[in-house]
Amino acid sequence: MFRLIKLLIALGCLISDISIAHHSFTAEFTAERTIVLQGQVEEVWFRNPHVRYILKVQNSEGVTENWDLRGSPVVWLARKGWTKDSIKVGDIITAEGYPGHSNRKMLSIIRVTLPDGSILIDRAPE
Amino acid sequence: MNNMKSIKSLIVTLMLALLISIPMSLRAETSDIEGRWILSLQDDQRLLVGLLEIEKTANDWQAFLEGGPVEINIQKDHIEIVADSRDVRGFVFNRRMTGKIKNNQMNGSYEQEGAAAQKENPGTWSAVREKNEDSGLTLTSSATAGDISGIWTATQELDFRKYTMSLTQSGKDWLEQYLPYYDQPDVRCTSIGLPALATYSFPFEIISSDDRYTFLYEYQAKVRRIWMKKESPSEFMPPSRMGFSVGSWVNGELVIKTSLLDKTIRDFRGELISEDATIEERYTLSADDQTLTAIIIVDDPENYERQPIRRRQWKRNANTEIFPYTCDPDTFYLPMYEDGEFQMYIDRTPFRF
Repeated sequence: MFRLIKLLIALGCLISDISIAHHSFTAEFTAERTIVLQGQVEEVWFRNPHVRYILKVQNSEGVTENWDLRGSPVVWLARKGWTKDSIKVGDIITAEGYPGHSNRKMLSIIRVTLPDGSILIDRAPE
Repeated sequence: MNNMKSIKSLIVTLMLALLISIPMSLRAETSDIEGRWILSLQDDQRLLVGLLEIEKTANDWQAFLEGGPVEINIQKDHIEIVADSRDVRGFVFNRRMTGKIKNNQMNGSYEQEGAAAQKENPGTWSAVREKNEDSGLTLTSSATAGDISGIWTATQELDFRKYTMSLTQSGKDWLEQYLPYYDQPDVRCTSIGLPALATYSFPFEIISSDDRYTFLYEYQAKVRRIWMKKESPSEFMPPSRMGFSVGSWVNGELVIKTSLLDKTIRDFRGELISEDATIEERYTLSADDQTLTAIIIVDDPENYERQPIRRRQWKRNANTEIFPYTCDPDTFYLPMYEDGEFQMYIDRTPFRF
């Protein structure tokens, strides 16, 4: 499992996409690297100003951690077909994004892979 | 012996002449650099345009892009400019421009530095002297009032998103105590207002009426009225973050002047906009009516030594609509409570508005 997480983190470093922010992400997240998390969805907050998912992730020592995943505003995601039903409580998902500063267990979402393999991208227009 | 003296004297004279002539030649070349330039930066995806101001100080140069300071280094005909910016996500990075100055023009290449979510490939840049009344916008405008009604979708063209501005001591004092994220109005579902709202990448709709334009901003579902036939607000109208806006068509541009503003912040960095600030926006419609472009200039001498400038471009988009926007501040308050930061937040109440 630990090897898988390390592989996912390494892959995540190669990925770069854009989501939209309306406040300073630099205050909360770092753009220096990206990481990938795999876990079970505990809570879904499909609301403005930011969509939020709580993801239960097992770390390398077998301890369960709750990660706070943040996405773009609802209006932005909805326009691309990403709705409140796209990710449900209990889903096993893989999320890639920018981690929180100071090892805070937060993630600014770049993309999410759903249980059926389909991918949701949190991306603003170029 | 006399010959030796003559040679030494000649060498000293030549060296002195050289010492004097080098600065003079430098001065002769660089005296043409001072002033206002329109800087254009082109990568493989988009064109950015900004006002570059270069000034000579007692011992060096200083420069400003869109009202904010940039690093500048000039050696003979070589110039280097480093300008900070933020991307759509809010990550801060630099653009390093290097090039030559020749025949009252500058041009060269640039590259992005630092971590940004919005990656830019290296590109080219150029600068030409600002002409009178030249806003740096390149679109052909119609001579009279254009039909700007409709829904507009933002592009990522034109706007440098200059990150730091030239602040007065008062502006610096404010910024020093400002805490990003926690103090920003948006996160607790309070409107950020103007000028930021006009620069965000969410779509907006313009409705044209006899005496006004109504702007419907998707972000935070905000409404704004641009009055075309009256010049002042009602007697008891309170200040607000949308202010009071009057508009007029001038040489094919919709010029909007806004006052009666409430205190807010300019952008992600948190620089203050005071109640005494005024904002001028100039909207230009392309000849084919499909592109709308704006330059947004803030005048707030209490906080800014130079006027902050933003630019935006939108495309007409009949295939979308303005979505409803409801906001729940629990996504801000609850995590803060869970992280044990709530008392800190309450203690900072005097710093918020």
